[in-house]
Amino acid sequence: MRNPNSLAGGLLAAAVAAFAFGGPAVAFPDKPISYIIPFGPGGESDVTARHQQPFFKKMFGQDLVISYKPGGGGAVGWAQLNSLKGDGYTMMGVNLPHTVVQPLQKDVGYKTDDLVPIIYFHYTPDAIVVKADSPFKTLEDLVDFGKKSPGKLTFSGSAKASANHIAQIRFDKMAGIKSTYVAAKGTGESNQFLLGGQVLASWGYTSVGAQLGAQARMLAVAMDKRHPGFPNVPTFKELGYDLISGAYRGIAVPKTTPEPLRKQMSEMFIKVNKDPEFRKRLENDGMAVIDVDYAGMPAFIAEQKKVLTAVAKEAGIVK
Amino acid sequence: MSNRSGVRDLGGMAVAAALIVLGGFVFHDTTTYVDVDSKVFPRTVALVMIVCCTIVIVRDLLRPAAAGEAPAPASVPRRLGLVAAMLGSVLVMPWVGILVSGLGAFAALMALAMFDPWTRFRLVVYPLVAVAMVVAFYVLFGQVLQVPLPVGSLFE
Amino acid sequence: MLGIEYLVDALTPTHLLIALLGVVAGTVIGALPGLTATMAVAVLVPFTFSMPTASGLIMMGAIYTGAIYGGAYSAILLNTPGTPSAIATTFDGYPMAKRGDGDLAITIACIASVVGGLVGAAFLLGLSPPLAKVALAFGPVEYFWLAIFGLTLIASLSEANLVKGLAGGCLGLLLSCVGVAEVSADIRLTFGSQTLLGGIEVVGALIGLFCVPVLIDLVGTPERHLKVTGESRGFRLPEALAIAWRGKFNLLRSSLIGTFVGILPGAGGSIASLVSYSEARRASKRTERFGKGEPDGVQASESANNATVGGGFIPTLVLGIPGTPPDAVILGALLVQGVRTGPNLFTEHAAVVYTFIYGLFLATVLMLPMGLLIGRYAYRTIVTVPKAMLVPAVAFMTIIGTYAIRNSIADVVMMILLGVVGWVLNRFDFSPSPIVLGLILGSIAERGFVQAWVLGTATDNVAGMFFGRPISLLIIFFIALSLFYPLLARRWRLKQEAMRVE
Repeated sequence: MRNPNSLAGGLLAAAVAAFAFGGPAVAFPDKPISYIIPFGPGGESDVTARHQQPFFKKMFGQDLVISYKPGGGGAVGWAQLNSLKGDGYTMMGVNLPHTVVQPLQKDVGYKTDDLVPIIYFHYTPDAIVVKADSPFKTLEDLVDFGKKSPGKLTFSGSAKASANHIAQIRFDKMAGIKSTYVAAKGTGESNQFLLGGQVLASWGYTSVGAQLGAQARMLAVAMDKRHPGFPNVPTFKELGYDLISGAYRGIAVPKTTPEPLRKQMSEMFIKVNKDPEFRKRLENDGMAVIDVDYAGMPAFIAEQKKVLTAVAKEAGIVK
Repeated sequence: MSNRSGVRDLGGMAVAAALIVLGGFVFHDTTTYVDVDSKVFPRTVALVMIVCCTIVIVRDLLRPAAAGEAPAPASVPRRLGLVAAMLGSVLVMPWVGILVSGLGAFAALMALAMFDPWTRFRLVVYPLVAVAMVVAFYVLFGQVLQVPLPVGSLFE
Repeated sequence: MLGIEYLVDALTPTHLLIALLGVVAGTVIGALPGLTATMAVAVLVPFTFSMPTASGLIMMGAIYTGAIYGGAYSAILLNTPGTPSAIATTFDGYPMAKRGDGDLAITIACIASVVGGLVGAAFLLGLSPPLAKVALAFGPVEYFWLAIFGLTLIASLSEANLVKGLAGGCLGLLLSCVGVAEVSADIRLTFGSQTLLGGIEVVGALIGLFCVPVLIDLVGTPERHLKVTGESRGFRLPEALAIAWRGKFNLLRSSLIGTFVGILPGAGGSIASLVSYSEARRASKRTERFGKGEPDGVQASESANNATVGGGFIPTLVLGIPGTPPDAVILGALLVQGVRTGPNLFTEHAAVVYTFIYGLFLATVLMLPMGLLIGRYAYRTIVTVPKAMLVPAVAFMTIIGTYAIRNSIADVVMMILLGVVGWVLNRFDFSPSPIVLGLILGSIAERGFVQAWVLGTATDNVAGMFFGRPISLLIIFFIALSLFYPLLARRWRLKQEAMRVE
């Protein structure tokens, strides 16, 4: 019978050796990462997160576990973000303009600067969508109608004080028309009203144009250059309206996450973003990929805050 | 329909009164809304509720209805204990996590719902089954359904 | 024709297995209060990525179907809808269980669910494009009147005490206003609380108002939970089949209502089952027995809610607009897989779609034997388990289930508080059903009203908007019918009796 003490001693030595020579702590990530979406399932934030899942798994070997924390248009989730563990295994979807506009309107439990985004990876540009058989063939047709019959031009859009709504208010001012905005519960309901003819047009995103396919047409998109997926749709800029806007989506981490981890996570998701197949899928769905990483975040957020605050004031939704 | 005068539906009236007060709070709250659209619905509904509750109270004062059957005699402490146990376990969950609070709640509720004598068999089997059930649900929700269950700040 | 060539593709052993597992898993998940069909489907989505699209769809459809059926178990045995679509099942299911007919109720629920599911799937198979157009004809006004129609159920449910029922319904409507208003982005009725910002979660409130009072009563007395009459009589299948045959018109009508309501995006199984329950009650010769354990009530509710599964897929697949919350998740999964929905789906992706629909038929049919088996075990367990085990188990289940919906402890606290409130209210004849009705229908009613108002003023035709559209008028007619028919019928009946006496 071997001496049990020496066995224990051997094990101890082995353990110490592993510790000393094992190198740095186990590589991040070594277990699945919790990805919280502050909206209900099935929405744009959910879909893009689902797109990220397989690529992340392929590149880094761990799952992104998606869970939902809906409420208050995202506010419930964002208000709780900083109370979560900042160890790199918890992160939350984050959106613009919501996170800038909401705290300006009322007390929602968080301030824009409380949130720590590590990446903004795509945006869905605003677009005016009409039914395929609509009499409006160009944007000018729509504007003419709006000028002739103030108030009768009805738009559906997702929620109030959202990107859709803000775009409608801004464009009304630019084009000198007065249209009526009917707030629907979400993109689904907004599309339903459009297709059912309850409204004449819809303020949506390019992703809506992709989703509805042949059932609808887009009259213009709020981008700098035409969307690669829709080469026939002019931009507002081309038609003389300086409107570049949309809803941005990204990922944020709790404030307590240490700097090196933040940088590392940012790089990981940028890598996912740069994958050509990933980009293609997002573009097919009508989204526009952008690569704002952690380093570029402060400048990006500052710019967005400036623009969105001005826009929100102009639109009359904040004081 | 026989009317037993003097038998009033005090409980019903109390509830109705409470709802009227609630309606008042709602009205007060609507004055803080910014958008016109938000006020219509709550105000209309609160108004209808206040009217209905007033009818309940007035109707019972004027014409007490025949008393319904008395509720079966029941143990009030046990009932309060149930609510306290459930509420308590939920409130401590952020600190001790769901396994500990769940086991605690399970034990408390088991004691409260036990009307038969504690035989030795039961003393052994019941706690075992309790632990098994708590763990089973924990695994079902936490692992299979991937719900992030509270682990408890004491254990992190 | 009808893609019948894909029927063979659907009936492979793999698909059989997937459908079987899906239905069983779905049934179990649906039976647990707090776990909804949406959650079940959402968890599965990543697994479907590694499967061929049709197989993944079949699995999600099977789980969805099973979950909607499974909600009946806790509805019947614990008075708690396992999913919101089983609310109306509690009205007659629980009284049946209390008097010892719980096993019969479960079997009836199973048969009804299968019938409803098949009807819904049949419409999905044959009539999707035209039905989708019908869905589009429903605008904000129609949704508003539909919600009002749902609310008139309060009147019919509270025949005993109409005014208290109305007050309860109003309370429910107010509860639905808590949080960020959809119509205006104002924050309402939170009284400064951060936790109420997300509003009151419907499923948690359901469990609180229906299940917690049951627990409170269980703990108060030593009596057994459900009456057990003699030894177990097996499935009571012949009895149930006889009842199903007797109620065949009810079954058919309810399935049609369920399919139709499922087609309307945003109106899910809960509304379908409530509307069909109300209609069944109105049209029945045994109206007074509804609410006290009338099997037809269970049949109406369960066939309607399973019909919404097939019905809900119609706008999802044809228009790309989800019919019910689980459909939204499935739609998301389809999008990620690159399947573009739309009218061309049936031609471009014919293989996937038709294989999936036949798979749905398969899953629904499999639900019959599986449902009966699982139902039997569920019944036996609940009936024989001693209270000291039952109460803590159910309590713990509701806590963890409610937490899992939004990962929110606040929701669980709300559930318990609403449970106490519900118990107190119930004690003094304010029934919880109108409250829940108000909570569910409140947002639909308000949104429909405000949207219709905005559209009406934009076109300078508010009156015409609310009262001038054909579908709205039809719904208004049904509202009037539902409100006045019982009065008229009763008066007519009394007159008949008076004449007979003379």
